[in-house]
Amino acid sequence: MINFVIILFIITLIYLSKVEMVKSYYPLMGLQGLLLFGLALLELHEVDALQLAFILLETLIFKAIFVPLFLLRITRGKIHRHQNSPVKGYYAVFIALVIIVLSFITSHEMHDEFLDVKYFTAATSSILIGLFIAINNRDLVTHLIAYLVIENGIFLLSLALGSELPMFVNAAILLDIFTSVLIMGIFFNKLKDYFQNTDISQLSQLKD
Amino acid sequence: MDILTFIIVTAVLAGVTYFVRIIFLSHALVFLYVALMVILGISLGNKAGESLGEFFFADRLGLIFYVVLVIVSLLSAVHYIKFVHDRRVVPSSVALHNAGTILFTGAIVGVLFTSHFGTLWAFMEATTLGASVLIYHNRNQDSLEATWKYLFVCSIGIAIAFAGILFLGLAAHKVGHIDFTFAAIKTEAPRLNPIWLQACFLLVLTGFSVKMGLVPLFNVDIDAKDASPSQVGASLSSVLMNAGFVAIYRFYDAFSGTTILPWMNRLLMITGLVSLFFAAAYLLKVKNIKRLFAYSSMEHASLVIIAFSCGGVGYFAAVLHLIMHSLAKSSLFFQVSQMHRIYASKMDDGIGSYLRINPLGGLVLLLGFLSIIAMPPSGMLITELMMFQALVAKNFWWLAVLILILVLVIIYGLAVRLLGILFLKKPLAKINTGGASPYESILQLGLILAVFYIGLFRPDFIVRNIELALKALPL
Repeated sequence: MINFVIILFIITLIYLSKVEMVKSYYPLMGLQGLLLFGLALLELHEVDALQLAFILLETLIFKAIFVPLFLLRITRGKIHRHQNSPVKGYYAVFIALVIIVLSFITSHEMHDEFLDVKYFTAATSSILIGLFIAINNRDLVTHLIAYLVIENGIFLLSLALGSELPMFVNAAILLDIFTSVLIMGIFFNKLKDYFQNTDISQLSQLKD
Repeated sequence: MDILTFIIVTAVLAGVTYFVRIIFLSHALVFLYVALMVILGISLGNKAGESLGEFFFADRLGLIFYVVLVIVSLLSAVHYIKFVHDRRVVPSSVALHNAGTILFTGAIVGVLFTSHFGTLWAFMEATTLGASVLIYHNRNQDSLEATWKYLFVCSIGIAIAFAGILFLGLAAHKVGHIDFTFAAIKTEAPRLNPIWLQACFLLVLTGFSVKMGLVPLFNVDIDAKDASPSQVGASLSSVLMNAGFVAIYRFYDAFSGTTILPWMNRLLMITGLVSLFFAAAYLLKVKNIKRLFAYSSMEHASLVIIAFSCGGVGYFAAVLHLIMHSLAKSSLFFQVSQMHRIYASKMDDGIGSYLRINPLGGLVLLLGFLSIIAMPPSGMLITELMMFQALVAKNFWWLAVLILILVLVIIYGLAVRLLGILFLKKPLAKINTGGASPYESILQLGLILAVFYIGLFRPDFIVRNIELALKALPL
């Protein structure tokens, strides 16, 4: 079951790398949140009530419900297709596949008994594909998506490593990420209102 | 007052300040916060070196930079009053700025005194959020652009740093259950897989480079200092840079007893050298005075990292240099605000004869210039000499020569711009001599003179505290 969920997560990454219609991002981000929730439940066997509530809050409510709805709200259905990117369509898929294969080979070659190859592959793929999306797109909404994909990869990595951070620290981290998404959303709106579109080429006023 | 109470008070006070729309009261709340910082400082000073519960400790290095934070915060608050008055800033912007100031300062306090890698990360992310609010203050195209870039790149950088902390968790699996406190990691580090420790340090250095103004993520830091009000630029160039250094230092210290120490030193040296090269290259072409000072901060951050990578006397030089740089650079950024009031420009071709038009302000600029280029009697001359001493002690002769050349290029770049501003007559569009503010300049002069005093006399309490703070590091 875990393998199936991880494969589904990786498929969402491949799809994210080639998305051109902005509205396609929202269900994909929601699906990623759901998959992460499923993985957390399957992986954490000895989970107590407080921890379960925390995971529920972080994945199901924040990642699967809040984030897609928030993105939908800030774009208000007005942005349909993001700006031209240098690598498009199946070329983007090819690059995503190369990232996934390289992540797998690297994870496999680590030969660390405490390293779960499948988790590590998915996590590093998510972080790298997030960076690829950020670099490859000239659109603000896609940059926000890229940040969230990277955060999902980090969450997966923390799950893979079974990190034993105390609840206080986990709560602080969630609060920080929540606030940063919120503030980015606010600034996204301001930029959109100011420039009348969301192309980052508008953001080139500051230079030496 | 204990630190956890202070953090809670920070959050509450920031919230209250946001809703206070009476400008006088809003400023008063910031001064109240600075007063609370002083009380906390006295309390922590009495417990220097002791643990303060599960997540905090009264670390001596933290205390040193805390004193700098209190000074810079107080002066920033004073300068902001004048800024608000002159620019006729609306109450809602003042409220947001002051709330952001409290949040930002509180986050830095957390970074300085936390004893846990997880909370260190959380406080660093909180500095990003606080700084974003401050950078956005002017609400124009530049500030909007700078804020978005800063928020986005910092968030990515901090996420990368978090991946580094997770790699540390992976390494820690080998010894079973381990908490993420600095002390626990330092004790167990020699038994951990060095590959993961290297990966952790690399990612953390990359992620936190944006806070210290080093490669690879330095660009957004420069833009932020340019587009924000000068007192915000002062904070970013001083206290935030110190916080970035402390964050990197925590990991360095924790891993310093392992076999990766020489590798960490090499990595820091390369980071410092590449940063210094970029600072020199950009400084030659930049015409905007705020960007000029921002690149100068990058130069000093590079020198600090290079000194630190040499070990020995370099450790001491790095910390002392950061203290003096914080005072000198914040003073210069504060002065830029005054120049902008007089000339309504921050480009060097629109500013001239500054020493004649505003003698006291010109004196601040002149002495500040001498400070940052490490000319006598600047205390930074001493620390830069210590850095070269550390390089020579390591037999890095060719690196010392290379660094010297790059520093000379930077001095040339700064001299051409700043001496021109001070002494050359230029065709000036309009001058508002009423923009000069003697009381502000006197405060700034005090900071510069402190740099001279520290360099000339090396006060015993500063030297002793730095030595005590760094005693855990290998020679």
